[in-house]
Amino acid sequence: MKKFLSLLLIVMLAIGMLAVAGCGGNEEETAITKLVVGSETAYAPFEMVDENTGDYIGFDMDIIKAIGDAMGVEVEIRSMEFTALIPALQNGQIDCAISAMSITEERAQSVDFSDSYFDAGLIIAVAADTKGIETLDDLKGKVLAAQIGTIGADACVAVQTEDPATEVKTYDHVGEAFMELEKGGADAVVNDLAVTAYYIKTEASDKAKMVGEVFQADDHYGMPVQKGDAATLALLNEGLAKIKADGTYDEIYTKWFE
Amino acid sequence: MIVVKNLHKSFGKLEVLKGIDCHIDQKEVVCVIGPSGSGKSTFLRCINRLEEAQQGQVFLDGEEVTAPNADINRIRQEMGMVFQLFNLFPHKTTLENVTLGPIKIKGMRKEEADDIAIKLLRKVGLGDKDHVFPGQLSGGQKQRVAIARALAMQPKVMLFDEPTSSLDPEMVGEVLEVMKGLAYEGMTMIVVTHEMGFAREVGHRVFFMDEGILMEEGTPSQIFDNPRNPRTQSFLSKVL
Amino acid sequence: MNFGFTNTEWIFGTMILDKLNEIHGFQVVVNNLPNFGMGALLTLEITVFSIVIGMVLGLLAALGRMSKVKVINSIAVAYIDFFRGTPLFVQILLLYFGIIPLIFDATPVQAAIIACGLNSGAYVAEIVRAGIQAVDRGQMEAARSLGMTQGQAMINIIFPQAFKIVIPPLINEFIMLLKDTSLVSAISVPELTHTGKMLYASTYEAVWVWGAVCVFYFIMTKALSILGDWTERRLATE
Ligand SMILES: Nc1ncnc2c1ncn2[C@@H]1O[C@H](COP(=O)(O)OP(=O)(O)OP(=O)(O)O)[C@@H](O)[C@H]1O
Ligand SMILES: [Mg+2]
Repeated sequence: MKKFLSLLLIVMLAIGMLAVAGCGGNEEETAITKLVVGSETAYAPFEMVDENTGDYIGFDMDIIKAIGDAMGVEVEIRSMEFTALIPALQNGQIDCAISAMSITEERAQSVDFSDSYFDAGLIIAVAADTKGIETLDDLKGKVLAAQIGTIGADACVAVQTEDPATEVKTYDHVGEAFMELEKGGADAVVNDLAVTAYYIKTEASDKAKMVGEVFQADDHYGMPVQKGDAATLALLNEGLAKIKADGTYDEIYTKWFE
Repeated sequence: MIVVKNLHKSFGKLEVLKGIDCHIDQKEVVCVIGPSGSGKSTFLRCINRLEEAQQGQVFLDGEEVTAPNADINRIRQEMGMVFQLFNLFPHKTTLENVTLGPIKIKGMRKEEADDIAIKLLRKVGLGDKDHVFPGQLSGGQKQRVAIARALAMQPKVMLFDEPTSSLDPEMVGEVLEVMKGLAYEGMTMIVVTHEMGFAREVGHRVFFMDEGILMEEGTPSQIFDNPRNPRTQSFLSKVL
Repeated sequence: MNFGFTNTEWIFGTMILDKLNEIHGFQVVVNNLPNFGMGALLTLEITVFSIVIGMVLGLLAALGRMSKVKVINSIAVAYIDFFRGTPLFVQILLLYFGIIPLIFDATPVQAAIIACGLNSGAYVAEIVRAGIQAVDRGQMEAARSLGMTQGQAMINIIFPQAFKIVIPPLINEFIMLLKDTSLVSAISVPELTHTGKMLYASTYEAVWVWGAVCVFYFIMTKALSILGDWTERRLATE
């Protein structure tokens, strides 16, 4: 049995080595002609699938396409789970990601972020008939729902750390968190303001409502690239600056949020 | 004791029994012979309703077996059946094979059932094999256990469907001996068999079946020595 | 204190451990062993309860499927076809968000057990039916010819023999079920896979986290198959 355990250890070590070997050095610098962009395309209005055409649409999608146009590079969207985005960057499976991802210190240890392209914040959503939940403090001891790996989930866990009676339910997609709220399985959803507002407007104007103030308003979305990938980073930042300067960004913003 | 009236049985379009009429007296041993596929097994299985006949009636001691409301499970207890392939219960010892019926069906106490079973196993010459599983027995031994199992229900009549056909030749004798013993004790028996010697020696009457019809019946000497029906003659000329 | 290793093995082993301790992913796994353990325990709990539900439903459905009563037969066939013919993942979401709330207020764990149990029942039904039909027809005929009712023959003769036949495929089904419980992470059941997802989302240590999850699953499925082998051997000697 001891031998078996040591064997197990060695196997795990071997796997680890392979992983380290897998994240090898960067490729030679050549002119970028194409960007493979990862996105969790289930986060309206930032990214979603058009019901009729099957295309990826949303604020983020328009932004990255505009950047591609401005810089003369082709953009290919690759749909994946939110939690898979950073590992995919680390493995070089995608060049960058645009997926309503908040710039955090934790993430910045694993990837480099472009300049912020959207200012966001968190908001609490509750069922339409809920009373007495306004602030983060009111969430103590309640059942909270959020998406795995988001800063909304982090906020929920922070509440739970203060009051262990709090229950946190996490889902692969934010839509399931909202469904849990609708069916009464959760007291509140903590998530991005823009997404929550869009959801309530389009899906649940009579079932759910936003309460309290926007918090963590220092939340900024950025596009992550592989750590040290200066070329892609420069391209994204330059493109972003261009579309902000020529009014394209404002057009897109108006289209989705006003 | 057993009366069969106008028995018809078809499997789909295939008519296997085309109107069988006969009667079998108490203590009588009837041997059924005939070519393969002539409906002998089907005839036997219709008597205890393992097969349901489409038409006709079977009576046991005046009670109609084929009646829709007949208590077939009770009637079957009075008709023991022995199969060509033994059909012993492989997960039970020989003793349990024999006691299962009395205990589960008749609600007999285990001790009493064991007593009866041991006596029956001795009678078929297997008194020392009570705690052996069927898998460890030879074919002849299995068939003798199967006979003991049927006898344990104390039936009024025993139905045998080619009880020796799947046995090695050297084991045929021991099974026939047991059956002979039963016949001499006065058990009513219907025996489907290819053992012409047994039919001649032990049978009181012989039925010759062909193509679903009871072609000819009579004493063994009538059938074997003076068959009248040309079909019987040609069949016997092939097997004797 | 070398735990039966030779000196070289021991030194080599400690060297490996020192190296491992420098790797972030290894630390993540070691620090979260209790979390993995809790997740694995919940996985086991869901599996065990689902097996119980699946066995009961499976037996009933198998009998229903062989029943000559039209209504019972149709219900059994519909149940088996639906749960075998659609993905478990979809069943979990449909039951948890759609159907179960209409009936009662289930926790995610309860819903997970119901979904997995219903799904497993359909597979168990087919295994049991195949097992019963694999018992020689002559067995039923011999039992009936003694005067047993259909039910008595089933209980005394057919089931005990079918039982031995179905043990290996049943164990196989339980192993599949254990692995399939990973799908209930979608409805926020904090079982082993969900534990992995959470840890992966905060550490991005894909290989280490999922590697550790694999090891935990493997230990549980291996235990199940050892249990299965043991049962088979016990039955074989009877
Ligand atoms: N369950 C069944 N379904 C369809 N056909 C059957 C069935 N049982 C028997 N038969 C057919 O009925 C006919 C008579 O069969 P049966 O077994 O009664 O003949 P048999 O005289 O006993 O023959 P053998 O000497 O070979 O045992 C055969 O043609 C057989 O193929
Ligand atoms: Mg036959």
